[in-house]
Amino acid sequence: MKSQLTTFVSGQRDPAGTLVIVFLRGGADGLNMVVPHGDDLYYQARPGLGIRKPDLTDLDGFFGLNPHLKPLHSWWQSGDLSLVHCAGSEDESRSHFEAQDFMEHGGLAAGGWLGRFLRVRPDAGQSPLTAVAIGPTLPECLRGAPSCAAIQSLDEFGLGPGVPPGFLQSLAKLYGTAPRELGPAGRNALAALDRIQSLTGTKYAPSHGATYAADSFAAGLTQVARLIKGRVGLQAATLDLGGWDSHITQSVIMDPPMQRFAAGLHAFATDLGPEELARTQIVVMTEFGRRVAENSAAGTDHGRGGVMFLLGGGVQGGKVHVEWPDLATQLAGPGDLPVLNNYRDFLAPILARQAPGTDLAKVFPGHELRPVPLFS
Amino acid sequence: MSSLSRRTLLKAATAGGAVAGIGGFSALSQLFAPLMAGADDGLAAFQPPAAKDIDDASHVLNRLTFGPRPGQHAEVTALGAREFIARQLEPESIDDRWIEARAARFEALRAWPLGELLEYDARELLDQLTRKKILHAVHSKRQLHEVMVDFWSDHFNIDPSKGDSKWLKPADDREVIRAHALGAFPAMLKASALSPSMLWYLDGRVNRSTGESDRPNENYGRELLERHSLGVDGGYTQQDVMEVARCLTGWTVRERAKSGFAVGKVEFRKDLHDDGPKTVLGTAIPAGLGAGDLDRVIEIVAHHPSTARYLAEKLCRRFIADEPPASAVSAVAAAFQKSGGEIRPTLTALFDTPGFWSSRGGKTKRPFHFVVSALRATAARSNAGPALQNHLLRLGHAPFQYPTPDGYPEDAQPWMATLLWRWKFALDLANRAIDGTSFPAAKLARAAGGETALAAHLLGRAPSPDEMAAATASGAPLALMLASPAFQTF
Repeated sequence: MKSQLTTFVSGQRDPAGTLVIVFLRGGADGLNMVVPHGDDLYYQARPGLGIRKPDLTDLDGFFGLNPHLKPLHSWWQSGDLSLVHCAGSEDESRSHFEAQDFMEHGGLAAGGWLGRFLRVRPDAGQSPLTAVAIGPTLPECLRGAPSCAAIQSLDEFGLGPGVPPGFLQSLAKLYGTAPRELGPAGRNALAALDRIQSLTGTKYAPSHGATYAADSFAAGLTQVARLIKGRVGLQAATLDLGGWDSHITQSVIMDPPMQRFAAGLHAFATDLGPEELARTQIVVMTEFGRRVAENSAAGTDHGRGGVMFLLGGGVQGGKVHVEWPDLATQLAGPGDLPVLNNYRDFLAPILARQAPGTDLAKVFPGHELRPVPLFS
Repeated sequence: MSSLSRRTLLKAATAGGAVAGIGGFSALSQLFAPLMAGADDGLAAFQPPAAKDIDDASHVLNRLTFGPRPGQHAEVTALGAREFIARQLEPESIDDRWIEARAARFEALRAWPLGELLEYDARELLDQLTRKKILHAVHSKRQLHEVMVDFWSDHFNIDPSKGDSKWLKPADDREVIRAHALGAFPAMLKASALSPSMLWYLDGRVNRSTGESDRPNENYGRELLERHSLGVDGGYTQQDVMEVARCLTGWTVRERAKSGFAVGKVEFRKDLHDDGPKTVLGTAIPAGLGAGDLDRVIEIVAHHPSTARYLAEKLCRRFIADEPPASAVSAVAAAFQKSGGEIRPTLTALFDTPGFWSSRGGKTKRPFHFVVSALRATAARSNAGPALQNHLLRLGHAPFQYPTPDGYPEDAQPWMATLLWRWKFALDLANRAIDGTSFPAAKLARAAGGETALAAHLLGRAPSPDEMAAATASGAPLALMLASPAFQTF
């Protein structure tokens, strides 16, 4: 145990990878993001809002990417991106709050699924910088994590400004002779601080020709990229991207966040580079998708099945996971894409790969897991 | 309260109502900060400990409280360490009106009947519950009681983020944990079994039997044996878990989503109860007892020798060492068994063991303990608001936010990754960079009688030459002392 502690942040690389969870808040319309252009019923249900086939970037002859998501296509081609259609939870409330709460807690459960994962993984509690939420507050999914910080900038991640010059040396002296587990733990914390300091002390230059846009989603991803590359022991990061609640004039509402989303992820994956991307798992989810048929205000209402994006992490990409339903007979409730893929069944194999030996039944209580094979 | 502050408060209440759910509660709670002023600073000149090692007074302050306040060491020295223990075991005899009056401001926590709690924003309730716990730990003079409240909160852990628990945990805190913290264990166990918050948290509310094929929900029954009473090695079987679950079928709670009235009320539904004969841990329970099955189960498990042993071990781990001496555990278990599960005589026996007196400074503070002890040592005043709570979150020890029934761990190892954030807290506190929290820096050093004396006050013993040299070289002696290895231990 002690030797693991001391080597956690001092080795050449972190032993484990990083999980990056992006939550699209507001119920993102998966149907217009990953469009089933091979299904005429889609166009019949959305005579005004349906995305015409020539405008799409075809993925597999049946699905195509919304033009605003085009930056993600290269990741599909390189085999780093896979998609899950008709994804969601069993919550049928169609309420943003209820559905988000349910999805983030992982059902009717105490604490957040990510918080529980970080608690029960076999190497839990060894890094002081386990989890970070980009934003002003912690999302519910992180509730119960062994240590997590909600930060808006990296400056909030270390000891902050106002540390006198002799402070760390004095700590090093005292912890150098500290009894029991405190000695190694102190040296471990000092090593972590060292790494943070080298991150915050310099101006960040993205790698591999990546350019981040000026919006806050891109800024958040930049911070996460720095932490990942800085090898501070980060196990999970969460980011939110809102603005998806497209009840009226859907494209006016939804196009801007789609552009930010695709450009941000593209810059992030580019910046990480192939080696880092392979050990960084990006998972994008939303609380629910939207009704299949467009409404009279050129928008769509709260539905059920949505789309998940799985990028990096060694996931075998170039695949849309779904057994496409018959839009005439298999819709849920008032005409919604059904949930055919429970989001937990896709998280489960990812978590198992991030932290082998984790008891996933404790992460997702009350759900009989049917993990979907995602890795070759 | 001055008329000015009352007016301000009323205005705030209106504003809070208008923006309910969007952070109105924080704005309202912020206004309590001035009302917290006037706390007993304890900042008359005081005599810090002078011995090279932790003396009796420092030891009992370390173990029975969340850390000494300025001047408390001298008080306990004058009183005698054993007399201090005896008084802490009689909390009713300790005047605690100051903190009680202030805690009364967290009015949501006193809501009655239970349904009243449902009227609040759940985040507001968690915020008030958290503030109340922090402020009690910092200011209550009934410190052993608060330490035991913390102990039982983990023992009967509930993460209220599940279902209606969000609204019902304040009642559990009040009527299970606080009401019985130094009382009788069997009564506390029964109160917990019937706590609506617990019935939600461990699914007791959906444990029902409606026919031969219906299997009871074992969740609570299992945790009752594994966590709350016998302990995982307590010698029960899967059959016992199922039998306990059968005994408890039919106890349910009126749901927020379904009932218009009496939400949160615990009810026994005879029609959902399996009224056949059962056998729990070798004791037969005859058919037809109905709701009486619960009393039989509580009696059987509360008085089981494994329960005495398991609780004795946990108590010794908290008060003596992560690996307590077997002789101490046996003595404490015997006292528990002999008293029928009375907590005071059990603790009295613990504080009488040689192991208790010989284990000085060998425990590592959990982050909550660390934060509270720093606030106490510096005579800090805090509104226990978002800035302070953020520190606890970063430290992984925010009250009422541990997801699984085992509660926050007591031993040192799981907390070893929190040092960096402890140092951050020490610096922020010393720099007065925590919103809503401050302490009288200059007065404190003066009252202690200089830097070395202040260090002795913080560490509970005279600082070593190395410690003083490091403090001087650090450029921030107070923060360094709070961040030092010695301040992490107790």
